[in-house]
Amino acid sequence: MNENPLTRLSPAQRILTHAVLLLLAIPFLLPLAWMISTSLKGDAQIFPREGSSVSPVSLANLIPSPVQFENYPAALKTVPFAVYLQNTLLLCLLNVIGAVGSSAVVAYGFARIRFKGREVLFVLLLATMALPGQVTMIPTFALYTKLGWYGSFLPLIVPAFFGAPFFIFLMRQFFMTLPEELAEAARIEGASEWDIFWRIILPLSKPVLATCALFQFLGTWNDFFTPLLYLNDPSRYTLAYGLQQFMSSYGGKYAQLMAAATMFTAPIIILFFLAQKTFIQGIATTGTKG
Amino acid sequence: MAGEYSATVSSRGLDQAPPSSGLRRLVVVLLNLLLVGSLVLFFALPGPQERSYPQREPVRFWHMWSGEWKDVVDGIAAEFNKSQDKYEVIALSVPGASADYKFLLAVAGGDPPDCMAQWNQVIPAWADQGMLVPLDTLMSPAEWQDFQASAYPVALKIGCYKGHLYGVTTGINIWGCYYNPAHLRDAGLDPDNFPTDLDEVWAWGQKLNRYDENGNLTRMGFLPGWCQMYVPVFGGSFYDPGADQVTIYTPANLHALTWLADKHKELGYDKVVRFQSMLNTGGFSTEWPFISGQYSITVDGQWRVEQLAKYAPDLKYRTAPIPPPKGGKPLAGWSNGNFMIIPKGARHVAGAWEFIKFWSGVENPERAAKFYTRGGWLPLSPKIARAPVYQEYLRKYPQFKTFLDVLPSENIQTSAPVPYQVFLGDMIGRADDFAMRGTLAPAQALKDLERNVAQEIERRRRFGL
Amino acid sequence: MQSNRTGYAFISPWLLGFLIFTVFPFVASIYLSFCRYDIISPPAWVGTANYEELLAKDPRLWKALWNTLYYASVAVPLGIVAAFALALLLNLDVKGMSVYRTIFFLPNIVPAVATSIVFVWILNPQIGLVNGLLRHIGVEGPAWLNDTKWAMRSLIMMSLWGVGGSVIIYLAGLKDIPASLYEAAVVDGAGTWDRVRHVTIPMMTPVIFFNLIMGIIGAFQYFTQAFIMTAGGPEDSTLFYALYLFYRAWRYLDMGYASAMAWVLFVVVTTVTAVVFRTHRKWVHYGG
Repeated sequence: MNENPLTRLSPAQRILTHAVLLLLAIPFLLPLAWMISTSLKGDAQIFPREGSSVSPVSLANLIPSPVQFENYPAALKTVPFAVYLQNTLLLCLLNVIGAVGSSAVVAYGFARIRFKGREVLFVLLLATMALPGQVTMIPTFALYTKLGWYGSFLPLIVPAFFGAPFFIFLMRQFFMTLPEELAEAARIEGASEWDIFWRIILPLSKPVLATCALFQFLGTWNDFFTPLLYLNDPSRYTLAYGLQQFMSSYGGKYAQLMAAATMFTAPIIILFFLAQKTFIQGIATTGTKG
Repeated sequence: MAGEYSATVSSRGLDQAPPSSGLRRLVVVLLNLLLVGSLVLFFALPGPQERSYPQREPVRFWHMWSGEWKDVVDGIAAEFNKSQDKYEVIALSVPGASADYKFLLAVAGGDPPDCMAQWNQVIPAWADQGMLVPLDTLMSPAEWQDFQASAYPVALKIGCYKGHLYGVTTGINIWGCYYNPAHLRDAGLDPDNFPTDLDEVWAWGQKLNRYDENGNLTRMGFLPGWCQMYVPVFGGSFYDPGADQVTIYTPANLHALTWLADKHKELGYDKVVRFQSMLNTGGFSTEWPFISGQYSITVDGQWRVEQLAKYAPDLKYRTAPIPPPKGGKPLAGWSNGNFMIIPKGARHVAGAWEFIKFWSGVENPERAAKFYTRGGWLPLSPKIARAPVYQEYLRKYPQFKTFLDVLPSENIQTSAPVPYQVFLGDMIGRADDFAMRGTLAPAQALKDLERNVAQEIERRRRFGL
Repeated sequence: MQSNRTGYAFISPWLLGFLIFTVFPFVASIYLSFCRYDIISPPAWVGTANYEELLAKDPRLWKALWNTLYYASVAVPLGIVAAFALALLLNLDVKGMSVYRTIFFLPNIVPAVATSIVFVWILNPQIGLVNGLLRHIGVEGPAWLNDTKWAMRSLIMMSLWGVGGSVIIYLAGLKDIPASLYEAAVVDGAGTWDRVRHVTIPMMTPVIFFNLIMGIIGAFQYFTQAFIMTAGGPEDSTLFYALYLFYRAWRYLDMGYASAMAWVLFVVVTTVTAVVFRTHRKWVHYGG
C-alpha cells in the first residue's frame, strides 16, 4: 500500500475528498458526456425545432431518447477506418519509441554528465521551442522536399528519433532529482555511464517515461496536420485526418461526427486509464527510493 | 584509449571500468535505432498510388468538400474520367481549415496540384503574383468572347483580375431574405405581400420581436447586419471599378453603416450581443436559428434551401430578394463563391482545363446542369439554368428561384479585386463590429477603416508589392 | 561525472537533429524576416523594413503583444496553482482515484470540436450553465466570449480545462518523493500543511520549474482556442500575438513581416525565460 502519510485519511476526510472531486469533475466530464449523448441521437433530436428554446447543448437535452446506434456503423462506412487505424498505429508506435528513447538518452546527458558547453546547449534546446512554428513551416517543408521525403511517411517519423525538447527538458528535471549515491555506487562497481543510465536511472524513471510516452502517443494520434501537409495519397492518411473530414463537412451530420469522435477518443481514454494505473500508481508500491 | 582513462581515475573512485565500453554500447544502441529507423523508412517510402486508369495523364485535383459533398465531387470526377480516354482526375479532399497551408506549401515547394477548387478571395492575390494560369489564354478568341457573353456578370467580376480570367465558378453564393409565414400571420402581417422597402421590413421585424420576462430577446423579427451585404443595397460600394480604387468613406457607405448601427442601437447593443451569442453554439453550421424559429425574417445564402430540405423538411418558409431602402438599389447585395483555378507550375494544364470545362458547363451546359443540381449550386451561365434538369430542380425547390432571379443583377457586387482583398475584408468586418457594438460612431469606424487601408496601400507601395 | 566525450555522445541524437532539421529553418526564417515574402513568389531583400514597420507603424501588433502578456501573466500562475492543487487531491488515497484522474485528463483527449461546443454553451449568456447558476444568486452574468471586457477572461477560464497535462506531470513527480521524508516530518510533529510546505513543495520545485517554463513558452504562442472560439474578437480583445502572426503570414501572405514578428517574439520569450532561469538556482531543489 501507499505508505505516504500525506495520503492517510480519516473516513470523514475521504467523504470530503470524494465530494470535492465529484463537484470538480462535472465540467471536465461535460464534453465527453455531450459527445457520447449526441452520437446516440438522430439529427432531429440534436436540433431543437420550432417553438422550443432548448439549446442543442444543455443538461436537459443530454439524455438521448430514443437511443440509436446507427451513427456508429454509418460513420465507419464513411471513412476507410481499417486503413487509417493501421497508419495511425504505425505512426504512433514509431513516434513513441523514437521520441521517448532518444529523449531519454539526451536528457541523461544533460542531467547527469558534466561537459563543456552543457548550459549553453541546454538553453539553446529550450530556445528552439520559443519560435512559433508558423514561420519555420515553409523552410522545413522545403527541407523535406529537397530530401525527397514529400509524399512519404518519413517527415512524420524521422524527426522523432532525434529527441523532442519538451521531453528532454521534462526527463532532465526528473533525472536530476534522483540521488547521486546510486550512480556512484554503481561506478565504484565498474559500471559505465550507459549501464547507469540503462540499469539504474531508467527503471527508476518509469512514471516520467510513461508520461512522455502518453504525451507522444496522444500527439501523434491527434495530429492530422502533418500527415495532411506531407501526404497526398488518401490511403496513407490517419484517423485524425478522417475525423477532420467529418468536421469540415458542409452538411450537418453532427450525430455521425460525434460517433466518429467517440470512436476516435475511446481507445485513448482506455489507454490512459490503464497507463496511469500501471505506471503512476505502480511506482509507489515498488518503492522508488528512501 | 582505455588506459589513458584509467590513468585519470579520480580520487572519488569513479570510472573504475574504461568508460569507453559504455560509450561503445551507447553508440551500438544509437546505431540500432538508426537501423530500425532505416528499415521503417524502407517500408514507409512512397508506394505507387493506385489508379483506375494508370495509362492516362493524371490530373491532381484538390478541393475542400467533405461528407456527402465529397461524394458529389467524386461522382463528377468519375464521370469525367468515363467521358474521355486521355486524362484521369484524381480528387483529394483537403479539410477546409488547412487547405491554404497545404496549397501554399505545395506551391512554395514546387509541386502544386493541377487544379483546385478555392474560395474566390484568393484570386486577386494569387493572380497578382502570377501564380495562376490565365484561363482565357487556354481558349480560342471566339471561345473567350462566347464565355464573356454567356457567363453571369458576377461570375466574371469574381473570376477576372486585370482583364484575364483566373477562375471559373462551380458555385456562386447569393443572399436573400428567408421568412417564416406562420410568424408573420401570427403578428397580423400578410406573407403574400412581403415588403418591397427595407424600412418596411424593419417595421415588420419590430412587430415580430419577442422578449422574455427579463426583457431579453427570444425571437428576432429582423436583424439587419453585415455591412458588406448591405452597402450595395444602399447604393454604396467598397470599390470603384472605373478608377480601380477602393472606396470607403462615401455618403452611401456611411448611410448604410449608420442605418445598420441605428437598428442595433434601437434594439439595444447589449440585447443584440446577448441574443446573438445565445445563437452561437460553437460550430454548428447547420444549426440555424431560422429553423428553431428564433428568426422570423433573416438574410442568408441559397445553400440554406438544400439544408432546410434535408434537416427541416416540414418547415414552411418563403424567400425574397433583399428589398432596397428608398434611394437604394434593387436586387443588390454581395456575392462570393467556389472557383476552379489552375496554379502555375501545374504539370497537366490541358487536362485540368478539360475537367474545368466539363464540370462548369463551359463545354456542355446541358450535361453540367445535373452537376449543379446535385450540389444545389448556382450556375455559371443562364444556358445552364435553362437546361431541363435545372428547371426540374427549381420546380422541386421553388424557394431557390429567388436566388436565381437575383443572380443576373448588375447590382450584385463582389469584393474589391485588389491583391490585399483578404486584409480589406477583415478590416471591413472589424469596422462593422466596432460600429454594431456602439463602440465607435459609424463615421469614425469608416474613417478608421479608411486610414487602416491607406496605411496598408502605402506599406505595399513601399515594399514594392 | 565529468566527461566531454560521454556527454556529447549522450546528447548526440538531439545535436544531430538540431543541425539537420532545426538550424536551416531557423536561419531561413531570420533571412525571410529581412525580406518581402508572399510565399508564392521568391523572397526579395528589404533590409530592416519589416522591423521598422512593426516597431513604429503597427498599433495592432502592440495590442496583440499586450493581450498576450496579460494572458501569460494570469493564466500561467493560475494554471500552475490549479494543476498542483488538483494533483495533490488526486494523490490522496481514496477509492476510484484512477477514474478521477482519467476524468480530469478528459478535456486533453476529447476532440476540440466537442470541447469547444460545450464550452461555448457553458458560457452562453442566456441559456448557459454559468449564467444560469449566477441567476440563482441574483446576478446577471456578462455575455462572456462575446463581450469585449470578458472574452479574454473567458479564455483564461477555459485554459484551466487543460490542466490535465500538468497534473499528470505533477503526479509523476509526487510519486517520486521518498516516503522517508514524510515519515521524518511526522516524527518531527509536522501537520498536513507543514508537510506540504516543507516536504512536498520543495521536492516538487524541479517539476514546478518545468511547468513554469513550458507554461511561459506555451502562453506566448497561445493560438488554437482564440482561433477557434473568438478569432481575435470582439474588437481585438482576444487578438493574441501568435494569432495576429498567423493572419499576417497565411491570410495576408506577408511571411516576411510574420517572420520578423516571430523573431521579436522569440527575443521576448527567451528574455523572460532567461530571467526565470536565472532565479532557478535560488528556489529549485534537485534532491539528487
